[in-house]
Amino acid sequence: MFNKKRGKMAIITAHNISKRFGETQAVDQLSFEVQPGEIFGLLGPNGAGKTTSIRMILDIFQPDSGEISVLDGPMNEEKKNHIGYMPEERGLYQDIPLERCLLFLASLKGMDSANAKSQLETYLRHLDLYDVRDKKVKELSKGMQQKAQLIATLIHDPRLVIIDEPFTSLDPVNTEIVKKLLEQKRDEGKAIIMSTHQMSQVEELCNRILLINHGQRLLYGTLQDIQSQFASRDILVTPLTELPGVIEGVAEVKKLNGRYRLILDQDAQPNQILKNMIQAGIEITQFEIATPPLNQIFIEVVRQQECAQNG
Amino acid sequence: MDKIWRITKYEYTRHVFQKRFLFSLLSLPILILVMFAVSILVAFVSINKTPLGYVDRSGVLDLAAREVKDSTLFNPVIEFIPYQSTEGAETALNNGQIQAYYLLPETYPQNLDVQLVFIEEPANEIQAQFSDFVAQNLSLFDNLDPQVERRLAEGSQLKITTLDGSRETSQDQWYTILTPLIAGILFFFVVITSGGYLLQAVVEEKENRTMEIVITSVSPGQLMTGKIIGDIGVGLTQLLIWILFGWGSLMIGAKYLPVLQDFSLPPEYLFVLLGILIPAFVMISAILAAIGATVTELREAQQFQSLVILPVMIPYYIVSTFMANPNGTLATILSFVPITAPIAMLLRMSFTIVPTWQVVLASMILIISAIFAIWFAGRAFRLGMLQYGKRLTIKEVFGKRVQQ
Repeated sequence: MFNKKRGKMAIITAHNISKRFGETQAVDQLSFEVQPGEIFGLLGPNGAGKTTSIRMILDIFQPDSGEISVLDGPMNEEKKNHIGYMPEERGLYQDIPLERCLLFLASLKGMDSANAKSQLETYLRHLDLYDVRDKKVKELSKGMQQKAQLIATLIHDPRLVIIDEPFTSLDPVNTEIVKKLLEQKRDEGKAIIMSTHQMSQVEELCNRILLINHGQRLLYGTLQDIQSQFASRDILVTPLTELPGVIEGVAEVKKLNGRYRLILDQDAQPNQILKNMIQAGIEITQFEIATPPLNQIFIEVVRQQECAQNG
Repeated sequence: MDKIWRITKYEYTRHVFQKRFLFSLLSLPILILVMFAVSILVAFVSINKTPLGYVDRSGVLDLAAREVKDSTLFNPVIEFIPYQSTEGAETALNNGQIQAYYLLPETYPQNLDVQLVFIEEPANEIQAQFSDFVAQNLSLFDNLDPQVERRLAEGSQLKITTLDGSRETSQDQWYTILTPLIAGILFFFVVITSGGYLLQAVVEEKENRTMEIVITSVSPGQLMTGKIIGDIGVGLTQLLIWILFGWGSLMIGAKYLPVLQDFSLPPEYLFVLLGILIPAFVMISAILAAIGATVTELREAQQFQSLVILPVMIPYYIVSTFMANPNGTLATILSFVPITAPIAMLLRMSFTIVPTWQVVLASMILIISAIFAIWFAGRAFRLGMLQYGKRLTIKEVFGKRVQQ
């Protein structure tokens, strides 16, 4: 339970958890930890076992084998007050006014009425929903409902937040507001598990990720470690003028949109290339080692596993 | 406990403060009241208030001796006109001056034979007025003890008492027949409406996925208990308002209709109704909630709902059996089978004296069934709540693969 390296208690510790539904092995010997003060990306293709894993954390399902510790021990009713969950399939009572719906959900998290009301007002104003608080939920737009759902998830100031696809129906402005909110919660020391298919959001927000497929762990670690693990030896360059056709140590030059991707010779080092370019009198405004986008890593890893499984 | 109360409160307020609840609440009594009022009005407005004639050859009647009560809407006092001859009365009848005439022959004091001549038969109330008039003029009862006289005037009264003397009923207590029948109908309405709300609430929560959020805030048991208590609250509110409405109507009605003045219910009678109906209500609610937890769509749920509601009504379909032999084997068995017990017991209570031990036994069976049904619903709930695309089978609910 105690993580020596980080020196703090993990919020979630899953150890070799498995779950089978009939013929399908939904989760297979999965182990991971989630720390306070981090946004943890739970990634995987559709049907990979993400939702099942989340439901096991929340004690909606029990694992067939393995152990899960949530907030320092097995899940119980009291702990539910410290967890905020936003399922992928959104759920709000449609036929009642927004304010009433959210106050009821807050009361189920053990909040007293006065506290819930003041918190709710803050959130409604922050997310620009204050003016529609008396409208029925079904009359709100999809994006508004999603923001309302986020309020239901965060209003009781949970120590553990689990959110599934938080950005799907949001416009760029609201996406930014929600991102800031999540970052703020992380900085307050909350643990946030975020499951999403939007890899750009993962790259922006997540400290660590877990990539699963067929219920198995494919990648697990900090975003940085994983990206450098998959880093190629390509270099991205933005010059002021056209690049010459031949640069010493570069096997191939590919022109991208205003930039160039340099594919290096077998034994060439990026430092040497930079030196060579300066010596050749090429003026450059940007020079970076190409880290593969998470998207690409995702596809590659999943494909590899599919190939291995299909023989 | 606190969370159960919060769910109860929410379930209760979200149904009770809805327009449709108010509508269903008021529609039944208003419908009954309107029908009742219309039929009574039609009956009394159509009473012919034309005077009544009589020809008294026996010399018994003295118009001055008539004791006239106050005229009311439901009992208008009719003027009596004496005629010397049948010819005169006949002419008056044909001219429409009188609606009918009585003929008391000379032999009347001996054989008490009276003739009534009419074109259209006068209403019972009017004939009764003439009977009273005749009785007032007869010296038949003159030398009788006033108590005996009153007994004679009132006629016989049959009273049935159980062997141990604990319960009794009598012939003129019309309400002992009517009350269980009405209670049965009200029970049925309450079960349909508020049970329907519960079923709808559970299926809707599954459909709109609120369930998953609620279930990560409270336990399935808390959710289920809160919902069922809330639902029973809704039903009892409905019932209470109807009872108050009925009681109010009785109080008002009693001012005009003497027959309503006799109305009174022995307290144990109420206890019997509650001991049978409340647990039955809980049981049916829990079964409906379990159905809500196992199906995936509202329409499907409604089909299943009728499968539960129809057996509840079985005793009404075979009401003749209950009337003919309310303590017979079939009637007795049906009053012990949980799903038919409430209506069956009420019907038996209408037509006979049900032995106390049978009422107690039925009540206990229903209480145990209610507890079992809640347990069953909780289990179905836990299993069924997340199976969005798939219907749960009864075998699965009873099977061992339940998450704990």
